[in-house]
Amino acid sequence: MFDKKSYTLYKFHKQLNQAFQNKRELLESALPVLRNLFKLDRIYFFDWQQERAILSLRMMCKKEYCMDKQEDISVIGEPAFLKQLLREGITETTDLSYPAIYVLVKWQRPSMELRGGEVRTYMQEKVGVLRLERFRKNRPFTPQEKELIQALGQEISHNLRNTEIDQAKNQRLNVSTALNDLSTVFASSLRLNDGLELILQGVQKYFRFDRVRLYLTDSYGRRVKSALCVDISGQVTHRKGDEITEQEQALVKEVFDSATTYRSTRSVIYIPLKVQRSKVGFLAFDNILSRRHIGYLDFISLQQFASQMALSIDNARLFERVQELSNYDELTRLPVRRYFNEKLSEEIYRAKRFNLTLSLMIIDIDFFKQINDNYGHQIGDWALQEVSRVIRHSLRQTDVPCRFGGDEMVIMLPSTNSEESKVIAKRLHERITAIVLPTKYTGGEEIHISISQGIATFPSDASSTEELFAQADKALYVVKQNGRGHFAVYREVADQVQGYSKE
Amino acid sequence: MIVWVMPDAGDKSKETYNAFLSLFRKENPQINVSMRVFTRNVLWRRMFTIKNPTHEEEVPDVIQIPHYWTALLVREGVAENLSQLDPGLSLTSCVKALKNHCYKPGTKDIYSYPWWFDISALHYREDHLKLVTNHPEKDLSTWEGFLKICAALRERFQNVPGYYPVQNSDWRGSLSMRSALPCVWGRGVDLLTADFKRTSVATKAFKEGIRDYINLALENYMPILRERGSLGTMVSGQASLMISRKQGVGTFDARRGIPVRTLPVPSTGDTRAAYLSGMNLFVNVRSQHKKEALSFIKFCARPEVQAYLARTLEVFPAFEDAVELFVLSSPSKRLRAYENILPLAKTLPNLTITGTIMEILKRILAVCATQIVEGRFTQASLDRELDLAAKEIEYLLSIYEG
Repeated sequence: MFDKKSYTLYKFHKQLNQAFQNKRELLESALPVLRNLFKLDRIYFFDWQQERAILSLRMMCKKEYCMDKQEDISVIGEPAFLKQLLREGITETTDLSYPAIYVLVKWQRPSMELRGGEVRTYMQEKVGVLRLERFRKNRPFTPQEKELIQALGQEISHNLRNTEIDQAKNQRLNVSTALNDLSTVFASSLRLNDGLELILQGVQKYFRFDRVRLYLTDSYGRRVKSALCVDISGQVTHRKGDEITEQEQALVKEVFDSATTYRSTRSVIYIPLKVQRSKVGFLAFDNILSRRHIGYLDFISLQQFASQMALSIDNARLFERVQELSNYDELTRLPVRRYFNEKLSEEIYRAKRFNLTLSLMIIDIDFFKQINDNYGHQIGDWALQEVSRVIRHSLRQTDVPCRFGGDEMVIMLPSTNSEESKVIAKRLHERITAIVLPTKYTGGEEIHISISQGIATFPSDASSTEELFAQADKALYVVKQNGRGHFAVYREVADQVQGYSKE
Repeated sequence: MIVWVMPDAGDKSKETYNAFLSLFRKENPQINVSMRVFTRNVLWRRMFTIKNPTHEEEVPDVIQIPHYWTALLVREGVAENLSQLDPGLSLTSCVKALKNHCYKPGTKDIYSYPWWFDISALHYREDHLKLVTNHPEKDLSTWEGFLKICAALRERFQNVPGYYPVQNSDWRGSLSMRSALPCVWGRGVDLLTADFKRTSVATKAFKEGIRDYINLALENYMPILRERGSLGTMVSGQASLMISRKQGVGTFDARRGIPVRTLPVPSTGDTRAAYLSGMNLFVNVRSQHKKEALSFIKFCARPEVQAYLARTLEVFPAFEDAVELFVLSSPSKRLRAYENILPLAKTLPNLTITGTIMEILKRILAVCATQIVEGRFTQASLDRELDLAAKEIEYLLSIYEG
């Protein structure tokens, strides 16, 4: 015998049996079918907002189209209506002057109860509510129609559920692929700043955050050392430790001390970056301008990404530390000869290419051997450290100092002619002469450190690196010949270099 | 070309906009134009995602926005610089209050173009009011008087089933910040201080202004969170007053024998203000049809098109000449009342964070509405929410407007 209900259900099932991208697409397909089937004037779909006990209108369908609509209905004020809807899954509205019914759309998965073989529903979730209206001809809904509508509502709920799952799966897949790509870029680079910008921009783009910030802290996680921020327009800003606000500094403790970093109502999340016991920094993602909540699944993905990121940053930091150790002298914290020579070659090339000047200064601590012999190597080392400290603090950012060997130091002064280099030499002379050896080691005697400096300038004094070194050394030789504690520029003393021999 | 609009004509939005688009198509048959209707909520969320659409998401070309979103979209880099697209584009005849909301703040570069605006006013049924007062204009000039009239009306119509003195004009049937603003302004405060450096949301005056508006729901003068189809309207005789931004000429004048009059919104304090809400159009920076989009925007700005849309949506044209033409040429006497209301126009500032502030306050009012319905609303909880909101706004100011 022909069963009309089953046939309608089958047809409806067939119509909805396709891959919908999202809930909207599914509703745009399902609501017109119901409208035609039951000759409705209007049909609405409401989301069930459990936490606010509100039916929130999402879509309306009338005539030949569907449309987004907004309307909130509280079900608290209507206990009888609510009770019947929950109990029977369908209820007729009594407030309207025309026939209208509400149908609960709920997703449920039946489970078999072993005791007595009774089937019970364990998992069920209210997905939404359909409101069907007939206001033109005031034709009431028959019991058969109501039964069929409920069955079709059930079908919609399953499709909605599947669409949501598909959508979430696709979204996860896209995000995982994106994060994987980004992680690969980052993991393959050992330099800290390489790719960080790109990665944060990528995260902002894929997750559509308003802002993404990365704070790098010291390894104890006490202070922020630098921050990288991608703002709502996608622009990146770098800030150093002294540019970080106190409010942001205060976040460090909060992030590392907090056990939970996720709350579903939040539009901001912080994820600490840690590698074993070492603290690397933290990531901050926010939607405070758009006020969109950050989903739990996004949070989980970001957490996984953050652990990879922490590891990569830590590796890069270790690499930087190794580089620093190999490029800098441990005692004086000045660059070593090899590093200096590389920089000098680069600068000489630049000076040739752009017709710039460059000066080179060689510094010798006067009577350094006597200091070592008279007061011990400890004081000698102290003197070297003090002189280096003064040099480091007296130079411009572009100048490059170097411990060349023993008590000899060299300074490269880019874009500096001989007159300008004399100003720097004078400044160094004054500041270093002010250094007094600790009197408890000199028997109370006030012994000042003094230095001799020889300067040569490219291209006026020399046309190559080797020649530049040679001319600066000759100038130093003249200073030493003339009693030390002074400085000389090669071109001014060139006629006094007889007897000079490179040792 | 895809145009995204809001449901400004309620259930008839699609029909209304389709008819409007057919006018454009007639003149520009070579441009293939389609339209999608989204609620303000959906559009707000989309404004933050259209910059990076996924494969499945469509890329709109022209989008309708509340005028105070312009600064945000410029900041995001979502809106196209219309001045660059057409250096001849001008705002000379645009309604003064709408002009600043078209520019990138601090420049004269046009990033969104005015489309239409509406302004809040109080509509009342003359026949109903006659039953409770002889001086409706005087009694309805203050909020106190307005509430007294509400009480009297409820008493007078207690036997009418489903009667509420005030019809809720909010489309969601909830409490609306846009309706609350005139009450706040009436108390002499605004969302932000005059220099836009601080917020006034936590001030006593602001809280009182919000409370003035909420009183309508608390006293049960206005229904909230109810089935809208079940509620009576001024037309059906189950309501007598309505504070609405739509002038309702089409709705009220279509029913003969229902005398509706229009007045400025009652003042809650010393200041009288009417909320002016502008709607602008902008071109998506990712659009592949920018020239077509621009021609659509220019089409929308033509006086006859402006007048047509104003009539069908029951709003006002955004250009001075069209406003005059529209108000003066209208057979509706009630429309003339707007000559007294328009000078009271006040609007929200064109700042990056204005939309967010409205979202924050909207959420607070949504919580209030639920609490009122559940009978657990307290002034203390509202004050606490507003204090927290103020902190949030101050933080936003420090990030985006500092």
